[in-house]
Formats: sequence, C-alpha cells, structure tokens
Amino acid sequence: MSNTLRPYLNAVRQTLTAAMCLENFSSQVAERHNKPEVEVRASKEVLLNPVVISRNDKERVLIETSVNSLRVSIAIKQADEIERILAHKFTRFLTQRAESFVILRRKPIEGYDISFLITNAHTEQMYKHKLVDFIIQFMEEVDKEISEMKLSLNARARIVSESYLSQT
Amino acid sequence: MAFRKIDIDALEEDAFGEDEIDFQEIGELRPVADVDAQVNSRAQEVSGNTSGALSTSLQNPPYGAPFHAAKARNTQTVMEVLNSIKVSDVPQLVKSLSPEEQDVLMKYLYAGMATPEQNNSGHLLAWHEKLTEVAGQGCIVRVITDRRTV
Repeated sequence: MSNTLRPYLNAVRQTLTAAMCLENFSSQVAERHNKPEVEVRASKEVLLNPVVISRNDKERVLIETSVNSLRVSIAIKQADEIERILAHKFTRFLTQRAESFVILRRKPIEGYDISFLITNAHTEQMYKHKLVDFIIQFMEEVDKEISEMKLSLNARARIVSESYLSQT
Repeated sequence: MAFRKIDIDALEEDAFGEDEIDFQEIGELRPVADVDAQVNSRAQEVSGNTSGALSTSLQNPPYGAPFHAAKARNTQTVMEVLNSIKVSDVPQLVKSLSPEEQDVLMKYLYAGMATPEQNNSGHLLAWHEKLTEVAGQGCIVRVITDRRTV
C-alpha cells in the first residue's frame, strides 16, 4: 500500500466510525413515515455537517450524516480516458445490482462515482465495524481492480492489433 | 411532499433556522469589521513565528453566516501555519493543545480537505491521523455535530 493511501483510508475509517451513530427516527413531516433524513432533507435540525476527506483533487470521500442515516460518496481515481470509462462501467455494474449490496445507493451523488446509504436498520442488522470495513475494503479494491482491468485491456488490445496486422 | 409546492413548515415562527443558532451560542453578534480586523492582524502575527502560532491561529475563530470573508481568511491562515510545521513535530504540538483547540483544529482540517485544489491533502491527512490518536473519535463527532462551522 502506498504511503498516502494508508492515512487516507485511516481518516475515512475514523470518520465513518465516528459518524455512524444512528438511531431510529420517524419523519417529523409525515406521520407514520420513517425515511432516511439525509435523503429527504425535510428538517434541517436532524442533518449534521457534511465532511469531505480528500487524498488529492481527484480522490475524495464525502460523508453526510443525519440522525438516522449516513451517506458515503466516493470519487474514484480517474487519471485518463480509459480509466474513466472503466470506472463508469464498473460502478454501473455494481449499482445495477444494488440490492445485493444492501447499502449501495442506486445513483451516485453528483460529482462522485459511487454512493452508499447506511440507515439505522442496517446498523441494527449488521455489525458497525464490519460495515466500516466493507467500505474501506471497497475503496482499497476498486483502485486495484481498475488498474488491473486497464492492464488487461491494454494487453488484449496489443494482441488483437498484432494478429490483425500480421494477417496480410 | 410532491403535492405541496410551498414548504409551510419553514414559515412557522419557531422553525429551525441556519443562522440563529450561531449567535445564540456565541452570545452576542460581533460586528463584521471587528472580526475581519482580528483575523487579519492574526494573519500578520502568525506569519514568521512557528512557536505558538498554531494555538494563536485557533483562538476565537469566526463562526456564523455573515463572516464568509473572515472564515476564508482564517482558514488560509491556519493552513499556512499547518504547512509550515514539520510532520515530526506534529504529535507533540497536538498534545500541547487544549481540548477546545483540538476541536477547532479538527474543524479546520476538514475545511482544508474540502478544497484539495488549494491545500496539500497529504499533509492534512497526516495531521488528521495524529490528532485522532490524541483526541479520539469524540473530536470528529464534535466537528460533525457542531453548528458553529468554520
């Protein structure tokens, strides 16, 4: 792990652990409704300050907290066009299967590539430290995954062009 | 609330407003010019001397809506101080701060990381790590919940 990635992930881990103090909270606007307040934004007093943790201007994490829900948005490193396409395809693949990932949000927040929405129901069903671990692991893996895909894409392109050009 | 175009709850008298809390907690509203002057003189004072610069820059930070310029100026001052300090000196310095100053420092760290184009995020991350070691996660919780943002 490179030496700037570790403090970055550490900061995200600490902040997430601190922010993930969620409790059951019914809507103050509609009776018998219970919605993630960070999404509906109907009452300001239950929303907390959003924080951004950045590694550089491309890679950053936005953590928005409310009384009963928490939204984590991740901007993935995209150095060039190929990485941008790969990251887009990859996040699209995941978000289309959002229900299998439980906490994945179907649509990322504007300016970010992928978002997670954790509600009090999730923290009640699952261990808090495991939820944090999941997000940290995701952030670790996604960079690796995309650079691997880029390598194999380049290798494949090279073989294809070699065999195409050697035919004549 | 798709059926209702006007947010009628916002018109209620005791509705929660963004601005009022700031001043309730501070006690009185300081004039904008005073705050600006204070922040500017602090920037002068801090530049050049490293010892004590950090805790000076964290004293009495401008909070509240009317102080946009002062906030930006003070954030810049704090960032300059942070950048001038070597990473090896960080743990000692952080320990010497009072708990209130640690909270304010954490606020400025997050404020700095929110604008990665202007600030060196790697350095801020190192600060964040050291500060969390000393002040714990309670410090982060206080930043997230405090309405007095910097």
